[in-house]
Amino acid sequence: MMPIWTKSGEKHAVTLLKVQDCHVLRYVSKEESGGKTAKLLVGGKNLSPFSKPESAHEIFKEAGVPRKQKVTTFNVTDDAIIKPGTPLYAAHFRPGQFVDVTAKTIGKGFQGVVKRWGFKGQPASHGQTKTHRRPGAISTNKAGKVYRGKKMPGKMGNIYRTSFGLKVWRINTKHDIIYVNGSVPGHTNCLVKVRDSKLPTYKDCNKNPPFPTFFADGDEELPEDLFDEEIFQFTDPSVTFA
Amino acid sequence: RVSSNGKPPKFQPPPKPVIIDRKTQKEERRFLSPEFIPPRGRTDPLKYYIERKDMIQRRKVFNIPEFYVGHVLAVTTADPHASDKSKRFVGICIQRGGKGLGATFVLRNVIEDQGVEICYELYSPRIQAIEVLKLEKRLDENLMYLRDALPEYSTFDVNMKPVPRMDHEDIPVNKLQVRMKPKPWSKRWERPKYNIKGIKFELPEHKMKAAEKWSQPWLEFDMLREYDTSKIEEKIRKELSEELEK
Repeated sequence: MMPIWTKSGEKHAVTLLKVQDCHVLRYVSKEESGGKTAKLLVGGKNLSPFSKPESAHEIFKEAGVPRKQKVTTFNVTDDAIIKPGTPLYAAHFRPGQFVDVTAKTIGKGFQGVVKRWGFKGQPASHGQTKTHRRPGAISTNKAGKVYRGKKMPGKMGNIYRTSFGLKVWRINTKHDIIYVNGSVPGHTNCLVKVRDSKLPTYKDCNKNPPFPTFFADGDEELPEDLFDEEIFQFTDPSVTFA
Repeated sequence: RVSSNGKPPKFQPPPKPVIIDRKTQKEERRFLSPEFIPPRGRTDPLKYYIERKDMIQRRKVFNIPEFYVGHVLAVTTADPHASDKSKRFVGICIQRGGKGLGATFVLRNVIEDQGVEICYELYSPRIQAIEVLKLEKRLDENLMYLRDALPEYSTFDVNMKPVPRMDHEDIPVNKLQVRMKPKPWSKRWERPKYNIKGIKFELPEHKMKAAEKWSQPWLEFDMLREYDTSKIEEKIRKELSEELEK
C-alpha cells in the first residue's frame, strides 16, 4: 500500500495489484453453463506443472498455456467473448474506472466470540468468576431452542470477501500494476480477482474502456504510466493554492 | 657488513618515504536518506523499486536536503486558509519515521510558551521548501524526550538566519546533555530500552539502579534481529546516483 496525492493536496491510500501471467482458458456458452450469460474461465500466476497429475493439465493444454495457480469465472456478454489463450494485461482497466476486488481474507483460525463477532464480553473485575470473553446467554426461555445462524465461536477468516466500488488511480503498463483506492481483502502477495464494479452509482463510469480487452499485439502504443486526471504527478512542481 | 669481494658494499640509497595523504584517503561521506532502505518483510521488491522511482522523480523536481535528527529546519507548506496561501514553520527535527513515499519527520518548537510539534510528510506535494538552518547531530536518533525537558532546549527563533556551513565533510555532533523537568515524564526515559545518552539525569542513584532492572542485555546478541543493510544500501546508492545524473 502506498500514499497518493491529488492536485488539491489531499492524501489517499492506494493498494498495488499486479497482473501476473493472466490468460483466458476456456469459453463456456450460455446453454452449456445453464446461467444467464456466457462464461470465460481465466487463470492467473504460472506454477510448476510437476506437482499435479496430467489429468489436471487438460484445460491448460487446450489453451496452450502453462499451469496456473488459480482459475476463476467471469460472466461475460456475447460481444465480449475472447479467444482462449489470449493474455490479459493491466491495461484492460483505465484510470478513473471503478472496480470490485475479491479475495480470500486472512485466516485467523478458531476464534472466540469477542474477536469473531465483536461481542462486548464481561467486565474484568467486580466478582466475575472465570467469565470475561464468553458469549453469555445464547437464546431465550420461550424459544426453547437455539436459532440457526447463532453467532458462536468458530473458524474466522479464509473466506472470499469483496470490496466494492474502488477507484483505479493509476496503471503501470510496463510492470502490469493497477493502483486501486483503499484497502483490499487478503494478505500481501495473495491472489485477487478484479472486476468492473456492479454498483449502480458507477454504472456509467467506464467511458471508452478497451473492449473486449487490451491486446498487446495491436497498434495502440500506451505510455508506461497512465494517471487519473486528479492525481498529482511527481513531474509537476509543488502544489500552490492561488 | 661483510663484503663478498673485499670491495666496499654498493651504496644502497635509503627507501623513499611513502606519504599517506589522509585527507584524500578519507572515504567520501555518502548519505542515503533512511526512507530508501526497505524494511524487512515478505513484500515483493518490485513494489519498493516502483516506489523509489516515484521518490527519485519527486527529488528531481524538488530538492530535499540531507538532514538528520537534531537539525533545525524551516518548512514552507501551501495552505488554502492562510492569507499568503503559505505557512512557514521552524523547528528542531526530533524524529524521522516511515519508509518509502510515506516518510515523515516531526519538527518541534516552543512558540509563546506553547510547545508545538508538526509531523510533515517528506514527499507531500504541499511542501514548497525545506531549508536547513542549523546542522548538528545529537547523541540520540530520537529526541522525543525534549517534550519533558525544560522548554529552553526546544525554543528556536522563528526568524533565525541559516548558520553557514564550514566543511563539506563532517556534520558536528552536539554532545549537549539536556536537563529535564521534574518527574512524571511522558515516558520513563531512564530505562535502558530507550538508550538515551543526551539527558543529564539528576535522579538519585537507587532510582537509576532500579531502572537497570529492565535492561535486556541479550538483545544485542539476538541473531534473528540482525538486519544487515550494507549490500541493499550499495545497490540503492548506485541506482540513485544513476537516476539523479540523468
